[in-house]
Amino acid sequence: VSPAADPAVISPQDPTLLIGSSLVATCTVSPDFPLKAEDLYWTLNGRRLPAASYAALGPSTLSVALARLNGSRQQSGDNLVCHSRDGGILAGSCLYVGLPPEKPVNITCWSKNMKDLTCKWAPGTEGETFLHTNYTLKYKRRWYGQDNTCQEYHTAGTYSCHIPKDLALFTPYEIWVEASNRLGVAVSDVVMLDILDVVTTDPPSDVHVSRVGDLEDQLSVRWSSPPALKDFLFQAKYQIQYRVEDSSEWKVVDDVGNQTSCRLAGLRPGTVYFVQVRCNPFSIYGSKKAGIWSDWSNPTAASTPRSERVVGSCDPKGGEQNTTLRRELKQFFGWVKKHAYGCSNLGIKLYDQWRVWLQKSHKTRNQVGKEP
Amino acid sequence: STGDSWGIFTFLCAALCNLPALPALNCSEELGAGQSIQQTYDLTRYLEHQLRTLAGTYLNYLGPPFNEPDFNPPRLARAERVPSATVDLDLWRGLTDNARLAANYRAYSRLLCYLRVLDGQVGTAELRHRLAHFCASLQGLVLSIGGVMSSLGYPLPAGPAAPPAPPGAPAAPNDFLKKMDDFWLLKELQTWLWRSAKDFNRLKKKVPPAVVTLRLEARGF
Repeated sequence: VSPAADPAVISPQDPTLLIGSSLVATCTVSPDFPLKAEDLYWTLNGRRLPAASYAALGPSTLSVALARLNGSRQQSGDNLVCHSRDGGILAGSCLYVGLPPEKPVNITCWSKNMKDLTCKWAPGTEGETFLHTNYTLKYKRRWYGQDNTCQEYHTAGTYSCHIPKDLALFTPYEIWVEASNRLGVAVSDVVMLDILDVVTTDPPSDVHVSRVGDLEDQLSVRWSSPPALKDFLFQAKYQIQYRVEDSSEWKVVDDVGNQTSCRLAGLRPGTVYFVQVRCNPFSIYGSKKAGIWSDWSNPTAASTPRSERVVGSCDPKGGEQNTTLRRELKQFFGWVKKHAYGCSNLGIKLYDQWRVWLQKSHKTRNQVGKEP
Repeated sequence: STGDSWGIFTFLCAALCNLPALPALNCSEELGAGQSIQQTYDLTRYLEHQLRTLAGTYLNYLGPPFNEPDFNPPRLARAERVPSATVDLDLWRGLTDNARLAANYRAYSRLLCYLRVLDGQVGTAELRHRLAHFCASLQGLVLSIGGVMSSLGYPLPAGPAAPPAPPGAPAAPNDFLKKMDDFWLLKELQTWLWRSAKDFNRLKKKVPPAVVTLRLEARGF
């Protein structure tokens, strides 16, 4: 048979407090229960509180004094419990001890192909607030009064939000983030931007790297401009980065401008190179500001030719290299048998594809330099 | 792992048969009732396993003493709204197949409702994610039980109970009591899964597949 009334009442019930504050809580046993103040004791998060901090305020009321409270152990609140002598739980109160939030900072936004807007930010507090903090991203068109609230959170990390539609071009937006918890609210500084100024796009497609005839030190790179932006007036600038197969150091070609091809020169003969291209759609509709660089395209591999004459001075480990090459060729032909089904096109391209596959399957290197 | 494929199976089942009231032949037509019972049994074991991780995480979120192994708070009157699995042994033995299945169906339908409310209130992203996954699996169990009942020709109990009282009404009057409610919800869920495994084991022995096909034909399905 369960009692109709709760056995006891704690005051304050579920209070919110600043770190370092003190609290006096009371437990009053219901008149239906034959318990007196001396039959009670307190625990906080499962640990018994010292009797020295108790005081009987009445025949069936016991108080406890808590001083200089630390931040809550869990975000659901510290569990302050009033027990009867045999350990039974009579009542409990959740203490929320923490700090008000600080202004969120570092708001950065980008738009994929002018269709949407994603923003991310950082919480202001270096450490923790100990309380659950809610972040709301808000935006409005300047001079148009109405605030909008972003709905899709965590799309690009914990502190991010995605606005999928109904965004206007050629108009400045005001964007800010509100952080709130039980102890207060903090609003970030307002960021002003025009969607056209923060456009990014997909990486260039169809990146092809090929030899330039027999030239040993050159490779030709060709690509297509990203299809998503083909209907818009924009100038793209591109960047190419390339590295030697065995190195993790990327070389960057910066001044590629608006072309969709480029020739790499000064390369080592007979070497496999990995090449990536990325795009920046600046000057959309005549905007003078730089856009945002896309991700790098998937790496494409190609090798420079090596002339027949192998000069001794260039290959100090000549003999060693021959056996390595033979071993590699053996492995290569084995791979071809498995994957090419007797295809007679054992061209250099296939060999290069195999080198890329070898790289990936050994996982010897990671890509370097994704961000500027 | 096997666990993951079961999870996907139940989720697909939930996605495909949205309403419990759909003719269950869509879901279990190809399987004899015997096989459905086996699958329901397997589902309860899978859920039991999933619950262990979910409960561990959730109780840590509630904080001590809730996550202490010997924690045993009083069950106050209000906690009775969660259907209890514990039942007199003779009573349990004497249950008809219909009653046995119906008790399971009703219990999990209600438990699912309460869990979904929890999902809306809980603090951390990790917990919400785990809860959502568990709810999907639990939904699959409810549908599976419904499928067994229909294939045996039993009517489904009146649809899942209406969602728990609107917020503010008999919801817990304070945060600590709510934590206790949450604790008991998880405990009852655990007890039900233990009990269901025994329920379905018992049903397995009593329902051979061949008998079922005949019964279906006789009823003109």
